[in-house]
Amino acid sequence: MACGEGSGPYGPRMGNELSVDVHKRHAGGPEIAAVLRLPLGAHSVTVLFGPSGAGKTTVLRLIAGLDRPDSGSIRCGDDLWYDGAAGVDIAPQRRRVGYLSQDYAVFPHLTVRGNVAYGARGGAAHIVHGLLASFEVSELAERYPRQLSGGQLQRVALARALAAQPRLLLLDEPLSALDDPTRLRMRGDLRQLLAGVQMPAIVVTHDRTEALALGDSVAIMIGGRLRQAGPVESVFDSPADADVAAAVGVETICPARVLSRSAGLVTVEIGHACLVAVDTAGASADVFACIRAESVTIERNAPANPTSARNRLAARIISVTPEGPLARVALDCGFRLTAIVTRQSGEEMRLREGEHVTAVVKATSIGIVPRGAGTLPG
Amino acid sequence: MEWQALWLSLRLSLWTTLILLAIGLPAAHWLTFSPRRWKFLVEAVVALPLVLPPTVLGFYILLAIGPHSPAGRWYAAVTGGMLPFSFQGLLVASVLYSLPFAVQPFASGFAGVDRRLIEASWCLGVSRAATFFRVIVPLSIPSIVTGMILSFAHTLGEFGVVLMVGGNLAGITRTVSISIYDDVQALNYDAAWHTSLLLLGISFLVLAATYGLRRRVWAVWPPYGQ
Repeated sequence: MACGEGSGPYGPRMGNELSVDVHKRHAGGPEIAAVLRLPLGAHSVTVLFGPSGAGKTTVLRLIAGLDRPDSGSIRCGDDLWYDGAAGVDIAPQRRRVGYLSQDYAVFPHLTVRGNVAYGARGGAAHIVHGLLASFEVSELAERYPRQLSGGQLQRVALARALAAQPRLLLLDEPLSALDDPTRLRMRGDLRQLLAGVQMPAIVVTHDRTEALALGDSVAIMIGGRLRQAGPVESVFDSPADADVAAAVGVETICPARVLSRSAGLVTVEIGHACLVAVDTAGASADVFACIRAESVTIERNAPANPTSARNRLAARIISVTPEGPLARVALDCGFRLTAIVTRQSGEEMRLREGEHVTAVVKATSIGIVPRGAGTLPG
Repeated sequence: MEWQALWLSLRLSLWTTLILLAIGLPAAHWLTFSPRRWKFLVEAVVALPLVLPPTVLGFYILLAIGPHSPAGRWYAAVTGGMLPFSFQGLLVASVLYSLPFAVQPFASGFAGVDRRLIEASWCLGVSRAATFFRVIVPLSIPSIVTGMILSFAHTLGEFGVVLMVGGNLAGITRTVSISIYDDVQALNYDAAWHTSLLLLGISFLVLAATYGLRRRVWAVWPPYGQ
């Protein structure tokens, strides 16, 4: 029980790490072979990112002790949680991991207070009271889960996990059970909650905007294997190989600065270019602008009539890469923008390297994601 | 009207239900959550009373608890009495006879508890035993109530096993179903008519109360996520 009890209630001792090196074969899923190191000293959020079926949830369950690896070892700080060769397998009860499953698994027969107090160490009423308050569910304390919204259930589940004073949080697709508007709102809220509890966390997601919004670092998992890890921005910007590139997508992700906001729209500056987008970033000044390659149109000559698209950018073609019936066009418009056109229209428009064109992006096609304050360079 | 027989039947049913609650809950837990491959054999044994003729079951129980059996000798050594043709012997037979009526609803209730709730409890540091009482049992209340009521009603109506193991001793083993049989044998149709009607009424009330209660209990916690 060493690594959770260093400095303060939630402050793990500096210099420790969670080290996972496991192997598991199971029916109906990929063979898992995961090597993962997560520093526990920094209260950072690591995103385990990958396509559905990559084995991300299984890795979380192995760490929590809910599934058993075939071989390998899991170590948390000084504690050995699992060692196949030595026959060590610590029960989930003794690992002290806060595990949130996809649908939060809030106990339906207990009130909100009953849920939060359920695993509270020592059952201390003031800890429960404090958590209810800090997760803004005090006024719901006597309600039952069926009377709560998805976002409220998530906060109750987080408060319940923290009441047990874990040393590590594991969140499995924490936003996937929510409807779209709630998901957008909770993305920012969850980031703040995670930053507020000062605890290392691993968040599983297959959604790149969630990965960007929540993660300090990211580990890419494909087909049961961890393929690349590092700071979110660098991994997403420069994938190590084609598989990782395909998993993260090679769409445009640019750090951007908010210039102004009005009527639900936000104007952001990327390099020397300005873009107008639908505002989903809350109050953040520093954001990521995410543009899917499919939603970028290329025009040869600016048309006389204005279109509904708000963003028209002068661009120079960096490269044109054929991809089956499509062609991927890399553009320089002050920042690097990727577009996808059909090969046929690319040939009709005679898109060549070095040519000057106009890139058009609708405001509704630009995803604006808040950037974690002070967690990324720039 | 056989008030003595009715009282005996009610006592027998109540005791049987309580004993089945005590042994049925752990048995159902084991059957639901044990990873053992051979547990289907135990499931089959528990379900045997559903298909065996009561005479066959009664015959084996009679042999098993008889004065020459190990169980019978042990019982005689401890209590000085005999199990066959006694209330205690009848109780043993009733518990075995009604076992599937308790264990099967219990087990299906446990199996219906969302696995993620159980795992959430473990991750919160709560032991498996405590999780059983704090999560699994509360979420299985409707099934547990159903199992208890079915055990009670089934014991109230048992006939063949009682006849084999208990005989027909007034105040000791003469249950209400036996008394009805006796009345009919003696062409005493009036008494049979009254007792039968009473048994029918009690059985209906018990079952109606169960299903009514079940509905209200469900209303407190609907299936998760609904």
